Amino acid sequence: MSAGTIAKYAAFSRISATQAGRERNELYGRMAFFAVILGVFSSLWRAVAEAGMPVAADPKSLVWYLAATEWILLSAPPIHLEIQEAIRRGDVVYRLGHPASYVLAEFATGFGLLAVRAPFLGLTAFLCAFAFTEWTPPLSALLIVVPFGFVASTVITALYLGIGLLAFWLQDVAPVYWVWQKLMFVLGGLMLPLELYPAFIQRAAAFTPFPSLLAAPASVVLGTNAVTPGALARNLVIWSGVTAIAVSWMFRRAVSTVTINGG
Amino acid sequence: MPRAAAVELDQLSKSFRVRRARSTGVAARLRDLFSGETQTVCAVDKLSFSIAPGERVAFIGPNGAGKSTTLKMLAGILQPDAGDVRVLGLVPSRQRRQLAFQIGTVFGQRSQLWYQLPPRDTFELLGRVYEVDAPEHRRRIDALSSVFDLGTLVNTPVRHLSLGERMRCEIVASLLHSPRMLFLDEPTIGLDVSAKATIRELLWTQSEQERVTLLLTSHDTGDMERVCTRAIVINHGRLLWDGPIAALRRSYLKAKRVTLWSEAEHLELTLPGVRVLSSGAYRTELEIALEITPLGQVVDAALRQTAIRDMAIEDAPLDEVIRALYATAATGSVPS
Repeated sequence: MSAGTIAKYAAFSRISATQAGRERNELYGRMAFFAVILGVFSSLWRAVAEAGMPVAADPKSLVWYLAATEWILLSAPPIHLEIQEAIRRGDVVYRLGHPASYVLAEFATGFGLLAVRAPFLGLTAFLCAFAFTEWTPPLSALLIVVPFGFVASTVITALYLGIGLLAFWLQDVAPVYWVWQKLMFVLGGLMLPLELYPAFIQRAAAFTPFPSLLAAPASVVLGTNAVTPGALARNLVIWSGVTAIAVSWMFRRAVSTVTINGG
Repeated sequence: MPRAAAVELDQLSKSFRVRRARSTGVAARLRDLFSGETQTVCAVDKLSFSIAPGERVAFIGPNGAGKSTTLKMLAGILQPDAGDVRVLGLVPSRQRRQLAFQIGTVFGQRSQLWYQLPPRDTFELLGRVYEVDAPEHRRRIDALSSVFDLGTLVNTPVRHLSLGERMRCEIVASLLHSPRMLFLDEPTIGLDVSAKATIRELLWTQSEQERVTLLLTSHDTGDMERVCTRAIVINHGRLLWDGPIAALRRSYLKAKRVTLWSEAEHLELTLPGVRVLSSGAYRTELEIALEITPLGQVVDAALRQTAIRDMAIEDAPLDEVIRALYATAATGSVPS
């Protein structure tokens, strides 16, 4: 990719980051929602521990685990909604006539939004988790979670792009997104580490991208050393590649549908 | 040596396969799920025309006539089924990217401006998209902002702009990369009279100054008359008319509207081909079919009855010409 091409898509990221800076209400809403979720779950884990019920990990670690998974998930902007609307309105057909790849432009736009959200939501996660637990994981763990979590959030953004492209065939991608959310919730270990799930779910989850995107980076705060940075990096590279191939294949199919059968 | 055409269409055709209307009843619906019947709809049918560089052409047709399909084929977004098309010497479906650098598009009902940001941000993004040299791009922004009188608008968030101001910015955005051809789809839709006039004047001036070829689709005949010199009319994907707008009116609709202000309170004109549109005290409005009764005969007949204080002769509005053209096309008797 040439420097000019990189500059072209960086310009999309820059303008969407600027726009995100002007549209702060949605971000503030997410931050408030995030704080409430962490407050509720920190009370829940404390109550579970105080009631003498077995908790596989330290309740404080579990709150930080949830802070990490939610940070990764909430940072990824729901760009599938914009894409769906552009496809429904027919705008996408006209944007295909621009000298820029539609998929790369949308991804760069999503990345710009992510770059604004991630620091704010990360700060919310840190402050709330610290306020509710009066404890922080070791700095070495946080230094792993933050970059890998950011990359995972980037891959999730690309997956949202893929979900949005399904609107070329389905028009309404809400059902697909709903299924995706549930899978992320269960197989990604959004609320609880996957080690607490039945063995068959853990086995099934291993064949999907979800654990690599949520549970694996977040579980570093548990201090179990179940996952190494090398394994994290390898899994994220694999799923990034799979996502890129899938999205570009879907887009090629969609464009040929449009160019042959109309938009 | 003749200059190459900006647009050349030769027997261009495009059909779409669409699902037949659903049958009623549960069993029929279930059958549709597995073996939905389709039918072929011909959107563009052996369409041929060419446009010279710098021409301003109105591309007219009723809804569903095939205008959008043709425009999409010209922009390389749709592949033709048959026939040839060249835009600025390029084959759009095969050379879409090269073509994209040389064409601009303005869609009245769509926006390429980022809503929360000032137009300048979008202009700068477009400079990157069209790979324009940064200093040159800044000069171009300043020059077009001056021509389109954007002033402080260029730094005002788009959400605070009126529709007319936004449309001026949209057109500037489409012209920033100095396209040789501009496709305009309903550029004045929703604008008030004065904003429409401004946009039309700016488009005309810009096309004259930079020799930009314009292809304009609009249902507003004012856009066509003020901006374009030539009209291409299509219906059911076929060419109905291609020629100067003045000739469309002159050679197709052989009628004039004449208003007479007379000394007498009422005029009684019962001549063949003359229809009284309205009649009031000292004022009579007529529509005269010139092929049946020449204008002079009507004036003579009026003068025989009373003195004429004033007279206005107008062409029928272009709206009516086009409406009549569509209606005649339906009966299959369109003049060539």
